[in-house]
Amino acid sequence: MAAKVRDDAGGPALEVRGVSKSFGGLKAVQDFSLTLSRGDLKGLIGPNGAGKTTVFNLLTGVYRPDAGKIVLGGQEIGGIRPCFIAARGMARTFQNIRLFGELPVVDNVKLACHVRAEHSIAGAVLRSGLHRREEAAIHEQAMSLLGVFQLRDRAHEQAKNLPYGEQRKLEIARALATRPKVLLLDEPAAGMNSGEKVALRDLIRRVRDMFDVTILLIEHDMGLVMEICERITVLDYGCIIAEGTPEEIQGNPKVIEAYLGGAEEITGA
Amino acid sequence: MAISTADGPTASKGWLSRWVPVVLIIAAAVIAHTVLRQYMGAFVSKIVLDVGINVVLAVSLTLVNGFTGQFSIGHAAFMAVGGYTAASITYYVSMVVFGGPEPVAGALSTMISGRENVPLFAKGDAIFAGSLVVGGLAAAGCGFLVGLPSLRLKGDYLAIVTLGFGEIFRVLIQQTADVAYYVEDVKDAPLVGVMQVFSSPRAEWEAPIWARLGGPVGFTGIPTYNSLFWTLLVTGLTLLVAYRLKRSTHGRAMLSIREDEVASESMGVNTTRYKVRAFVIAAFFAGVAGALFAHTTGVTLKANELAFAKSFDIIIMVVLGGLGSISGASLAAVILTMLPELLRKPEQLVAMWPWAAGVVVVGVVCTLLAKNKIGGGAVARAGGLGMGLGGAALVLAGLGAIAMRAGLDLSQYRMVLYALALILMMILRPSGIMGVRELWERAFWRGGR
Amino acid sequence: MGIWGVGWRVCGRSGATGDRPAAIIGPLLEKFLQTLMDGTAVGSLYALIALGYTMVYGILKFINFAHSDVFVMGAWVSYSAARAAGWTQDGTAVDIPPWLFWMMGSILAAGALATLTGHLLQKVRVKGIGTLAVMIGAWGLSVLGLVLVCRALKGSGQELLAGGVVLLIAMLSCGAMGFCIERMAYKPLRGSPRLNVLITAIGVSLFLQNLGQLPWMYGTSPQRMPSILPDRVLFEIAGTVGERGEDGSVIWWQTDPVRVRLLDVIAGGTAVVLMICLDRLVYGSKIGRAMRAVSFNPQTASLMGIPVDRVISFTFVLGAMLAAAAGFLYGQKYPGLLQPASATWVLLGLKAFVAAVVGGIGNVRGAMLGGLLIGLIEFFGAAYLSSDLRDVYVFALLIVVLLLRPSGILGRATVEKV
Repeated sequence: MAAKVRDDAGGPALEVRGVSKSFGGLKAVQDFSLTLSRGDLKGLIGPNGAGKTTVFNLLTGVYRPDAGKIVLGGQEIGGIRPCFIAARGMARTFQNIRLFGELPVVDNVKLACHVRAEHSIAGAVLRSGLHRREEAAIHEQAMSLLGVFQLRDRAHEQAKNLPYGEQRKLEIARALATRPKVLLLDEPAAGMNSGEKVALRDLIRRVRDMFDVTILLIEHDMGLVMEICERITVLDYGCIIAEGTPEEIQGNPKVIEAYLGGAEEITGA
Repeated sequence: MAISTADGPTASKGWLSRWVPVVLIIAAAVIAHTVLRQYMGAFVSKIVLDVGINVVLAVSLTLVNGFTGQFSIGHAAFMAVGGYTAASITYYVSMVVFGGPEPVAGALSTMISGRENVPLFAKGDAIFAGSLVVGGLAAAGCGFLVGLPSLRLKGDYLAIVTLGFGEIFRVLIQQTADVAYYVEDVKDAPLVGVMQVFSSPRAEWEAPIWARLGGPVGFTGIPTYNSLFWTLLVTGLTLLVAYRLKRSTHGRAMLSIREDEVASESMGVNTTRYKVRAFVIAAFFAGVAGALFAHTTGVTLKANELAFAKSFDIIIMVVLGGLGSISGASLAAVILTMLPELLRKPEQLVAMWPWAAGVVVVGVVCTLLAKNKIGGGAVARAGGLGMGLGGAALVLAGLGAIAMRAGLDLSQYRMVLYALALILMMILRPSGIMGVRELWERAFWRGGR
Repeated sequence: MGIWGVGWRVCGRSGATGDRPAAIIGPLLEKFLQTLMDGTAVGSLYALIALGYTMVYGILKFINFAHSDVFVMGAWVSYSAARAAGWTQDGTAVDIPPWLFWMMGSILAAGALATLTGHLLQKVRVKGIGTLAVMIGAWGLSVLGLVLVCRALKGSGQELLAGGVVLLIAMLSCGAMGFCIERMAYKPLRGSPRLNVLITAIGVSLFLQNLGQLPWMYGTSPQRMPSILPDRVLFEIAGTVGERGEDGSVIWWQTDPVRVRLLDVIAGGTAVVLMICLDRLVYGSKIGRAMRAVSFNPQTASLMGIPVDRVISFTFVLGAMLAAAAGFLYGQKYPGLLQPASATWVLLGLKAFVAAVVGGIGNVRGAMLGGLLIGLIEFFGAAYLSSDLRDVYVFALLIVVLLLRPSGILGRATVEKV
């Protein structure tokens, strides 16, 4: 594996301040702020339609924020295109799995190493030395990542033929191949059974320690979130209604209200 | 951040893997031109030229429609741009340099056999080779122009815009003035000028030299430099470039756009850049193919014949071969180029049946073996291919027999058959013959769709 | 004398006295009016075709490339029907082979029998095939019957009415064609990637074109469409043009008058009537509401009890019928019918598609607006700039509109869900 190339500036890995986004009249996210220190494992929860995935889309540049600041490792990234944000060290998985289905599993991971490839198209066509060294390195890195996720013997199957749980794992592996500083996981446990969830819990922790990443996690499974996240942010109707440790969140009446209904009080508040 | 570069054992053999294929392609082209051509005869040689040009076109379109998943239906326009650019270069430069448009060709650039004591290359060949490159570059420039809308448009919209661009190119070419036939005309014609699109009678003597491309009559008198050597050389190089591209990180980036653009962008692929790149590279090769086509014996370069009907021909090859498969597109190009000749002679179609039946039997046997877990995926895949291709050939043989009985002219049914094949393919096996796989990939033979 | 600039004509010929060119004189009203009329007439035909594109796009979200070929078939079917009804050179009707009647009759009978057995034995599949056969047979017989009616009407001198029947035949035939195309080619692909459907549509288009030009269909040589609709000059608008002489006095010239033809009025009127009917149908009827619901969200619509498949078929039939009407009217205005696979036809259909896109695809009123706009731009460009470049104007407009406002004039933007 490559030597770690990291800017060890002391600041937070990701800092979001006052980000808002609306679609037409709908205010999807309002005044969203968040700070992730290096090595954090934070949860982002909220009822359906609260704007969690919109937050991810704003962070990764799929949507352009209407207002606010997003700072990744000391660099402002608000409003730039997703590919440049990925190159600066933020990677994500998708709620509805978005793998490159027709491509082999290994190519899915190799593709994500693309950010770091420096040889040109001409180099690839002429088989320059740099091209061959980089391709060899990409292959090696991809295979070792697949090894971590126990997908190595599936490397040459088409990604769409993997079982559901392995597709979710492959998404995480693919995201890690971009060498992110911050990893955004969008409902990684969705559709998994309880056994798979336990394995996933261990995997997420292992990923954080092994790859030295900061993780922000959207999850509906409260058990999982409460167990692995150190801090949790709760969104409802696009606004942050609570922030704190799992214990604090569990006891927070606003959160309980948001989850258990009582719509009148919330709109009234 | 760079990928850590480890000097592996592969580094030492780099020189070999880089140049050996190129040398092999050149050698094959020379051998085909000098030795095999004597056994082929004029008719077969001409078909090989057509096949080569169509393979280049199909493979280049694969880069756009197959790799990046953008749907271009104006590919013939790039062919036209390349063809007209190259033709005007060879024609007018020959006029000035040699005093006439006749080719000054070496032994490798002529399809006329039996010329003794001719060097392999002559002066004219340099002009021709240069015109191939310039034609390709001109087309690539247009490809950049056409590729730009792909940044904002998707699917059907992009398709219709590429078609619109193609039509605009075609109409503009048709507005050009007549070809200059006399050396004095060429020397007197202005180099700079405005193509007089808006004046109804085209004033030949006022038109700049680059705008004298024959208009609706077509570009006549292009020197016929194209030969088996050049066509096979270009075909081989195109295949090599496409193959190397697909196996590189750039090829994967293109393929990922086709699979899922949002995910691809989120994984750090600059999707807009790769879409435009795909258009530019594809246009370059289409331009070179057009240049080869323009210099082929018996061809009059006409913008009308390079309109969207030709684009659809190329699309059919790419789709039937499998969107994203270089070998699939080539295979389809070979079959679909030879098919019209066969359809013209139903007795040849009928004569095909024992072979077709044999292939089908082998395919059935393979499938049965694979069903009973003997031989694995490769056998199953071979069985499927054999049954599919052999079955199609058998159907054609049957059609030939019917045509012979009823006295039908099957070549009239060519496009009807293609259209039906296209519809059926989309309903029964939408990924085409090969899907995104290649004949040389292990994954293809390992089975599974 | 060349024409430069838009709408202004430099008169190279001086008045009675001077040898220098006279001053610039105003926009030539005569040419303007003529162009306006032609542009509107052809534009309303574009609009008719564009409606079919836009309705299908609204519901299934793909370009029905074969739609322009249905339009071409509309023109050719009305050609056959007109000849069978007696519009030939010598006035004798082309015979209808009697076996056609027998065939259609037996299909109808067999279908009825199958439906009955299916009903009695409670076999849904048999019943379904039977119903289909009954539909085909009934359709065939009614078309043949209409041809006979048309012949009789023409024989008794009711030419306009007979022309209406020809239009009806074309619409019925193309409606059936649209139904078959949807059921056989597009329905099996419901839910597959859009690219596949697009390719299939191209396949269907190529199939129709090349089937149409087989020797036993319409062949590859152009034919002359008989003029079915009455045509005469309704009234003339004379134009006068002023020219300033050297002494400053104005000399008035009489120019060629603009002729308003009955044919243009009928063609435009038919198109407008059909469009109003469609507009009422889409925005004011139950099936129209169902169509809009399906276009909004097919899944939800089907959960609400809307028979989605039937609505889609209905949309195809409706679009095909409008295209057939456009084909009939186009054949009347431009009687030289080209071979079905001619590039000119394809371009015509594509321009109609451009009209749908410019107006805002999926939007019925946008298609009408776009059709008129395209017709006017094409004809004004051809009249005032260069007639060789008429396709260029249309496609250039398309590219500009798509780049500046991809959702078209009346369309609304969509956001992709991630």
